[in-house]
Amino acid sequence: MCGINGIFAFHPAANTPAHDELVATRDAMSARGPDGAGTWWSSDQRCGLGHRRLAIIDLSDRAAQPMVSDDGQLVVTFNGEIYNFPELRDILENEGIRFRTTSDTESLLHLYARYGPAMVHMLRGMFAFAIWDNLRRGLFLARDPYGIKPLYTANDGWTFRFASQVKALLAGQHVSRDPEPAGIVGFHLFGNVPEPFTLYREIRALPAGYTQWIDADGPHDPKPYATIAEVLARGANEENPAGELSDCLREAVMDSVRAHLLADVEVGLFLSAGVDSGVLLGVMRDAGQRQIRAITIAYEEFRGTSQDEAPLAARVCEQYGAQHIVRHVNEREFRRDLPAIFDAMDQPSIDGVNTWFVSKAAKEAGLKVALSGLGGDELLGGYPSLMDLPRWRFWFGPLTHVPGLGACTRMLMGALAPEFSQRRPKALGLLEYSDTWSGAYLLRRGLFLPHELPRLMDAEITREGLRRLKPLDILTSSITPDPHSDSARVCAMESANYMRNQLLRDTDWAGMAHSLEIRVPLVDFKLLEAIAPSISSLVPGRGKAALAIVPSSPLPAEHVSRAKTGFSVPTGEWMRTVAATAQPMRPPDSKGLVSRVWSRAVLSSWAPEKLQRQVQVA
Amino acid sequence: MIAGATMLAIVPDAYGGRGGIAQYNRDFLGAVADVGTFSSIIVLPRNAPDPYTTPKGIRQTAARRGRVSYAIAALLTAFLQPVDVVFCGHLFMSPLAALVARLKRAKLIVQTHGIEAWAHPKPPRRVAVESADLVLCVSRYTRGAVLGWAAMPPERAIVLPNTARADFTPGDGSKMRVALGLEGKRVLLTVGRMNSRQQYKGQDRVIDAIPSLVAMGHDVHYLIAGEGDDRSRLEALAAQKRVANRVHFLGLVPSGELKDLYCSVDLYVMPSTGEGFGIAFLEAMVSGTPAIGLDVAGAKDVLADGELGMCVSEADFVNEIHRALLAPKPDRDSLATAARARFGREAFQAGVRAAFNRLQETS
Repeated sequence: MCGINGIFAFHPAANTPAHDELVATRDAMSARGPDGAGTWWSSDQRCGLGHRRLAIIDLSDRAAQPMVSDDGQLVVTFNGEIYNFPELRDILENEGIRFRTTSDTESLLHLYARYGPAMVHMLRGMFAFAIWDNLRRGLFLARDPYGIKPLYTANDGWTFRFASQVKALLAGQHVSRDPEPAGIVGFHLFGNVPEPFTLYREIRALPAGYTQWIDADGPHDPKPYATIAEVLARGANEENPAGELSDCLREAVMDSVRAHLLADVEVGLFLSAGVDSGVLLGVMRDAGQRQIRAITIAYEEFRGTSQDEAPLAARVCEQYGAQHIVRHVNEREFRRDLPAIFDAMDQPSIDGVNTWFVSKAAKEAGLKVALSGLGGDELLGGYPSLMDLPRWRFWFGPLTHVPGLGACTRMLMGALAPEFSQRRPKALGLLEYSDTWSGAYLLRRGLFLPHELPRLMDAEITREGLRRLKPLDILTSSITPDPHSDSARVCAMESANYMRNQLLRDTDWAGMAHSLEIRVPLVDFKLLEAIAPSISSLVPGRGKAALAIVPSSPLPAEHVSRAKTGFSVPTGEWMRTVAATAQPMRPPDSKGLVSRVWSRAVLSSWAPEKLQRQVQVA
Repeated sequence: MIAGATMLAIVPDAYGGRGGIAQYNRDFLGAVADVGTFSSIIVLPRNAPDPYTTPKGIRQTAARRGRVSYAIAALLTAFLQPVDVVFCGHLFMSPLAALVARLKRAKLIVQTHGIEAWAHPKPPRRVAVESADLVLCVSRYTRGAVLGWAAMPPERAIVLPNTARADFTPGDGSKMRVALGLEGKRVLLTVGRMNSRQQYKGQDRVIDAIPSLVAMGHDVHYLIAGEGDDRSRLEALAAQKRVANRVHFLGLVPSGELKDLYCSVDLYVMPSTGEGFGIAFLEAMVSGTPAIGLDVAGAKDVLADGELGMCVSEADFVNEIHRALLAPKPDRDSLATAARARFGREAFQAGVRAAFNRLQETS
């Protein structure tokens, strides 16, 4: 886990990039890589690469980046981890290649030299990297299929720039800050900024599972090489006898966790009272990890209540023989950290506070790497969406075809029952959106609905933003090709939208702010491929039950039956009070409404002044 | 692109046309013909007032001024022969070009220049641009503006800047200076239209600056080449500022004399706020004359953000002219070479090749 950046003046009219800019962008990411920093420039000075290093594998200086190939023709700057690096190294060494480091970075150079862009299909891991190909005079960019690692690009028509963070690109002072209405509208619709958009028109995310080639012709269209929907669609066509889920899950999760333990430093664990992280702990032990430190966040407000995760987590630690570190957090600390949280937040997000504190605790414990159970809910149908989306489509979908029914009902209820409209703003959307998977998902995950936006921002931004964002098209593309079953569609939508744009982004900025690499064994493409045939037969609850028995010593039943708490409380309550201070209003009483108010507080604290005026939060 | 393909160019003017857009279209179509991919390039102009010849491989049909007759001619031409690529030379013709491209299942290239592409266009034009396989923009600024209103992948919008004619080269401008009676003076020049509806070229800003420059000790004279209905306002302004004797309105300068004019002056000045690119800056610099403009819109490109010419804020404009007039005479050949390296014919052709490489990849 590191910070990468680069500048490539591809157009003959472009000025030669300034070294200062490369360094300014790189060092805006210093928290991502406190262990080292490097730059590299092509001989004609038209392309520069930068790197901030968090040393995890091969801690020596020989593994420093940007790393140049022996023949000097390839240069790589890389953020992430290649978990199947030992296997790749074996393959390459059998083909006569000699490694000069024990770093996974070097494998990227050899693989690219041997297989070209097709090398991405061989990688297992979380990654975003750029390789300068001196023979072809171009830059090759790639990002992992799940989108665990971020990669942002900016092209002004003359010069191409990239970095691991939006804020780092802006720090270089050569990227436009003109706002992107699609990003602004996207944040209000989803509570995160959906890729490929950012809040800035000139900055885009290289989509997950895409590569891009940039040469003297400029940046070429990004090309997809792997999508979640495709894997699930393929899996649905494979034979899968009933009852096999737990078997293939056991093997695949074990394989993934084992791969994710690859490191030359200690690997810790984020432990809650939920199934996912508890299972990870058990499987870490099964994989042979002897010393395990597990971090749990406990809230003073919950001490002694059923919502306190610490006691259950402690029992799991006891069962698997891990050292338990409980870090208590209170509202005072939350308020004290808030400016730093907003500062670390690369793009506005309504979540990430919990990850901030658990990462902070891990850093205090001296950890550089920690596993997280993120992804279990998306993979195994752990969210209510698995139940809600098919139900809504069945019951309300037909009503959406009655012309004007949804809009009329909304207006009527707004006049006759304003209280209901305010307290259940999304309920009435059932009559407008539930006929399609994308519409139903927008209702499930939506923060605000499209018709509510004009009262939050300029009408022009709303109109343009919706036109450019095409939110329903984005959601539909995440289930294209069709994964063939309700559970697989929900898995694809949750993984490619909420998890990718919200959870993984929050994990990245919150972890990186503490120079901590967070690894997510349940967000693993090989794992997905392995269990894809079983996902179509998932029913609510079965997936998590199957996961709980993956460790050789299964997770206690009380973990499986415990209701999911999420971020709602007490951080939700703290958010509510902070938001109410920023924007005096009637205190909301539901989690969804808290998020709405909190989103405005985030934007008012986070967004640049120019943007604040347009979204009316100043 | 398959070798032997046919291009249909829907343009306001090209061969036999006047002005910057006609010149750009000629440069572009000539470079396309040089690339050699197309067996046939058919150009449909709205205007062609001057006599012309077309390069090998390019055929231009008779000009049709009327919108309806032009549209019928375009559709008829497309109906009667294969069309693989439609090139649209101006935003206002993009709906027709998009229609032709759609009917013929041809690829569409839309060219954007300056202010016509900066504000949000009417929906038919926006939709046409969004349907294009490639949008060519003369500058980064125009590209940014297009991407501000068009929902399209940014990779499809590429910068293909203007290029300077080969006959603009450094030379001896002393004869022209003698002819103008300005020996021993410090001479500034602006070449451009004087349009009362688009008063962005900035001649008035230069006239405003003259008293200050004189007060700074410069015996400065200002030449304005070009014509237009805003001339009387500028003349009145010069009189009001009591510098009428230092401001010389040259009217329309024939193309063949422009080179000598550029070579005869000390500084090309154009504090314009509305340049899509600013071809006159480039013509001056490839003639070896230093140029100064504002860091606004497309002028930043031709001045290379200050690396080729001087690119300053409006507040610094007068002081920068002062400094430039005090500075030692620049090496005109070096300036011309540097300007050609970025915006010369070779770079332009490379840009056209790049555009067609990219076009081949679009689905």
